[in-house]
Amino acid sequence: MVGLRRPPAWCKRSRGAAIALDESKTLGKSREREEANVGAGLWKGVGMWAWILFRISGLILVAYLFVHIVIISQGEVGGPDTLDKLFEMFENPFLAFLDFMLVAAVLYHGLNGVRVILMDFGVGIRSHKAVFWFVMAIAAGLLAWFAVVAAPHIF
Amino acid sequence: MRTTTADIERVDRQKGGMWLWLLQRISAAVLLFGLITHLIATHILSIGELSYDNIAERLQSGFFITVDILLLAASVFHALNGTRMVLLDYFFKDVARRRILDVVLLVFGLAAFVYGLWALWPWITT
Repeated sequence: MVGLRRPPAWCKRSRGAAIALDESKTLGKSREREEANVGAGLWKGVGMWAWILFRISGLILVAYLFVHIVIISQGEVGGPDTLDKLFEMFENPFLAFLDFMLVAAVLYHGLNGVRVILMDFGVGIRSHKAVFWFVMAIAAGLLAWFAVVAAPHIF
Repeated sequence: MRTTTADIERVDRQKGGMWLWLLQRISAAVLLFGLITHLIATHILSIGELSYDNIAERLQSGFFITVDILLLAASVFHALNGTRMVLLDYFFKDVARRRILDVVLLVFGLAAFVYGLWALWPWITT
C-alpha cells in the first residue's frame, strides 16, 4: 500500500479539504484491510478462491477414491478379465481426458495443501499469496509433464 | 440442556480434535509422497499399458506393496476426515448427531480399508 501523505504543517485546510482528507483516509484503511495478507485479507481474493477450489477438488477426489477402490477390486471380484475389460474401456479419449483432469485436481489439492501445512507451521503467512503462486507454478510444471505423456491418449 | 458450539469445541479438545488435525497433516504427507509415486508409476511409466498383469508385475516389489497399502490407509482416512470437516462446517451442530456421523464414518472407513486390502491381496501374495 502507498502510504497516505500528511499535508505539510503550513497547509491551511478548508473544511471541505479536511473532509476529503478524512474520506481518503478511511477509504485507504478499508482498502488496506481488504488487500492485507493477514486477518480478513486471508479470506479475500486469492486466499478465498484457493480455499473454495481446495474444498471442491477435495470432494471430487473423495468421490473418485471410492470409485477407484471399487474398480480396482474388480480384479478380485470378477477376475483378471473383468479388470482388463475395464482398463480397455478407460482407453476412451474422453475418459483419458477426465483422468488427466483428475491428475490436475490431485496436483492442485496436494500443492495447495503444502501451502496450508506451511502456514500451520507459521511459514509464509504474510506472503501466502506469493507462496500460492509459487506452489501453483510447481503444480503447473508437473501437470505439463503429465499433459505431454497423456496427449497421445486423448487426441 | 441444549448443546452449543462452545460445548462441541470443549468436547473436541477433550476427545481428540487435535489428534484428528495432526493425523490429517501426517496422512497428507504420506499422500504427497505416495501419490506422486503412484501417479508417475501408473500415469507416466505404464500409461496405456495398465492391466491386471501390469499391476501384478509392479506389486512384485516390496516398495510398491508398502506404498499401495500406505496409500490405501492414508487416502481413506484423509478423505473421510476431510469430508467430516466439510460436513461439520454446515451440518451436525448437535453433539449426539455428530457422534452418529463419527461412528458412521469410522465404520465406513474401516470397511473401505479392509475391502481395499482384500482386493489387493491376490497381487501381493502371488
